[in-house]
Amino acid sequence: MAPHESSFVTDIEPATEHVAGVGIDGLAPYRRVVTFYPHQPESRVMTAQTVQQGDLVTVIGLEVHVQLETDTKIFCGCSTEQTDEPNEHVCPVCLGLPGALPVLNEGAVEAAVKIGKAIDAEIPEETRFHRKNYYYPDLPKNFQITQYDEPICADGELEVAVEGTRRTITIERAHLEEDPGSLQHVGGGIDTADYTLVNYNRAGTPLMEIVTAPDFRSPSEVRAFLAELEEVLEYLGVFDAERDGSLRIDANLSIIPEDEIESGDIDDIGSSALETANRTEVKNISSHKGAQKALAYEETRQKNAIERGRAVEQETRHWDESRGITVSMRSKEEEKDYRYFEEADLPPLRVADWKDEISIPELPSARRERFQAEYGLDEESASKLTSTKQVADFYETVAAEFDPDLAATWVADNLLGELNYRDMEITDLEGRLNEVTRLVELVATDEITAKNARETVLRSMLDDERTPEEIVDAEGLGKTGEDEVQQAVVEAIDENPDAVSDYESGDDGAINFLVGQVMQKTGGSADPGDVNQLLRAELEA
Amino acid sequence: MSANIFITEETIDGVEDGPLADTTVAVKDNISTEGILTTCGSAMLDDYVPPYDATVVSRLKDAGATIVGKTNMDEFGMGTTTETSAFGATENPAAPGHVPGGSSGGSAAAVAAGEADVALGSDTGGSIRCPAAFCGVVGIKPTYGLVSRYGLVAYGNSLEQIGPFATSVEDAAATLDVIAGPDDRDATTREPPADGESDSSYADAATGDVDGLSIGVPTELLEGADEGVVDTFWDAIDDLESQGASYHEVSLPSVEHAVEAYYVIAMSEASSNLARFDGVRYGESGGYDGNWNETFATARKEGFGDEVKRRILLGTYALSAGYHDKYYKKAQDARAWVKQDFDGVLEEADVLASPTMPVPPFERGESLDDPLQMYLADANTVPVNLADLPAISVPAGETDGLPVGLQLVGPAFGERELIRAGSALS
Ligand SMILES: [Zn+2]
Repeated sequence: MAPHESSFVTDIEPATEHVAGVGIDGLAPYRRVVTFYPHQPESRVMTAQTVQQGDLVTVIGLEVHVQLETDTKIFCGCSTEQTDEPNEHVCPVCLGLPGALPVLNEGAVEAAVKIGKAIDAEIPEETRFHRKNYYYPDLPKNFQITQYDEPICADGELEVAVEGTRRTITIERAHLEEDPGSLQHVGGGIDTADYTLVNYNRAGTPLMEIVTAPDFRSPSEVRAFLAELEEVLEYLGVFDAERDGSLRIDANLSIIPEDEIESGDIDDIGSSALETANRTEVKNISSHKGAQKALAYEETRQKNAIERGRAVEQETRHWDESRGITVSMRSKEEEKDYRYFEEADLPPLRVADWKDEISIPELPSARRERFQAEYGLDEESASKLTSTKQVADFYETVAAEFDPDLAATWVADNLLGELNYRDMEITDLEGRLNEVTRLVELVATDEITAKNARETVLRSMLDDERTPEEIVDAEGLGKTGEDEVQQAVVEAIDENPDAVSDYESGDDGAINFLVGQVMQKTGGSADPGDVNQLLRAELEA
Repeated sequence: MSANIFITEETIDGVEDGPLADTTVAVKDNISTEGILTTCGSAMLDDYVPPYDATVVSRLKDAGATIVGKTNMDEFGMGTTTETSAFGATENPAAPGHVPGGSSGGSAAAVAAGEADVALGSDTGGSIRCPAAFCGVVGIKPTYGLVSRYGLVAYGNSLEQIGPFATSVEDAAATLDVIAGPDDRDATTREPPADGESDSSYADAATGDVDGLSIGVPTELLEGADEGVVDTFWDAIDDLESQGASYHEVSLPSVEHAVEAYYVIAMSEASSNLARFDGVRYGESGGYDGNWNETFATARKEGFGDEVKRRILLGTYALSAGYHDKYYKKAQDARAWVKQDFDGVLEEADVLASPTMPVPPFERGESLDDPLQMYLADANTVPVNLADLPAISVPAGETDGLPVGLQLVGPAFGERELIRAGSALS
């Protein structure tokens, strides 16, 4: 089919359409302009004079787009499953064909309400959708259905621990919207491509846009927040971090001289100081690690400029992950006018009762605290054991049957350690977790030694996918039965009266001789520590 | 064909049996038909073939109807004469030399010329009622939410409904029976509230029994109307009165602002609804080099006609930062007032009556140079769309040999009352 033939629409199948040779200035995978701070003149520059007077404070705000895990798209029945075949999961609605109408997938709203509850946000009586109008080749209708002045979540917060201190980050709003399609530039980059393909598989995937207040003071705080957010979303079952493009971050970063902060408290920076500061927007960040790197780079770049008396330009910059730098997107993005207005095709949805009706699981922070209190764990173990819902659930299963400390050692240290070493997740053991429980049981009931369990059985379970019993049998790791050991202890004492009398006269070394005798009798399969204890018990009796 | 009624003539057969088994239907060319051109009267879509059927088309097929073609229309529904079509103007079979009205002029003309038994049109601000009046046929604009819009190419999506044309009220009602009812694909459709009649068909309501019917006549909708039209209107009211109905004058002060409010809302929505036509998937490409915004602009400049461009520009302006509150928001306030006004007077009357159009059919070419004059001709029809209410236009007679329509407006989902009253005039 020749480029640009609209006969495309006679058949939904034919893969991709193209926007040939579009000279796109500054294309980001995801674009928006919403300001955290009131609009300010483009060319305002911080003078070198102001900065010599004091320290510089970094101020960061985030806008995070997360794809919500729903079976179908937000406004049609197409699958959200990822596929390599372009334009496979499409229909008249998500292709934006003339005459097609959106119908809201309430599953997406449910996921949004869960997030609202988790971040303690206000959820309105009714929620409605708006159109955000802008032209872009990845946008099927040249408008995006989103939420404007009645977001599903407003004024929430999320607490994060950063280097031992707790900080509360305000989440100004979180709203639902549809993901655009994706562009593939063929034969070059954005500016040089021979042509560009449009894939609408992603179009209509439900997105939640989460906007924070400018509450971050360092890139590491941002990373901690994103990690916590991701953990919360995964706990809620509304997010899959493994999915390509499931997390997209735009950040605003400003550097403010400390003495311009009227309150004198860097956690309470007035709007005038924020307005005066020039701010860059960093786009194209797709992971927490990436966010920390990008913002650390940007922070240093800006501080250096200020310290050298150079102007920090108010601009949008692109994070180049492979080069580890931010790059100016050259053309200044002018203040866009999105001409928001109500989407009349979607009647307002009453969600007043949803908050009560929809339940959410215990969240990571609450669970961490409970683990410490209920199981007597230290903070580090509790933190490891709540890192994902699956890990925490598994720990609780094991701790219910066995000693919580033993369970913690096995789940937090041994299991997660070995998984991590193999770049595996606990979810990779789906259906086999009972085998791990069985292994803990073998240790708890002294059937095998902890050392063998850890170093031989667990590793082989992960590497060879064998069951603990198979490994124990094959490797002959079964510990000798207690009765047998006890019998050997009695025999050793009977057969070595000299050693016994040495022991009784205070020669502690004699016990080692006796342990050796018992080990010999049991073929080395008894636990030396246990044997030592049994001998002492017998001798003291 | 000389009357230029159809853009595409093609037969689509429905199922063997059904309530419309022996009925031929003409379908406005902004209603999607799977595998058959759907141009909206625009060069932008002159080769667009939808891969799916509009819900109303599926329902017609399931009812056994035979679709005979896609009818001419003002480009994207923007017009009152069917002269803004990229495929040329349509002749009015009932008044040669005159326009058939618009924007569903082809559908009304198809019925008037006997090219189809019934037809489907769409009505955003009068686009069914105006051509029904001008062509001397019956047209029904249903309550917003009664008929699915899925597959109707949007112009002003908060205002429009698909509805039937026929030579008799009963046939129009029988077509409404087939297309009405909730649709999972259109979230704005609703089940009509249950009342004593909701089990009976619309066609059954065409009894012509107006004994005891109370008719309100909004004085504002007679002001400024053509004298001959007003005389014909009163003759029709006299006729209804002689059959047992009574009338009284009512006042709808809000309608003074209805035309402005309507155009602001319709154009704003149009500016967004028509944004997708950018030369990438529809129309001719604007080129492959340079800034894509410019190539989009080129494609749109080439693909759209003047009236469409005018409305997109005005609508874009009305939604823009700094003007949004002054125009779009104010228009929404006016819309709320119009609704309230109608609800008020419909408490004192079963139906409201007015001339459908304040003027008889324009001569061809007459209105093209003066869009404002054309907009003002919509004065009696647009308030009904703003209020989401149902209305019917039935032939009331003629003035100087030109057809005049009587418009009856009822409460939400009050289609049966309109059908009953309208059928008394034929
Ligand atoms: Zn779809």
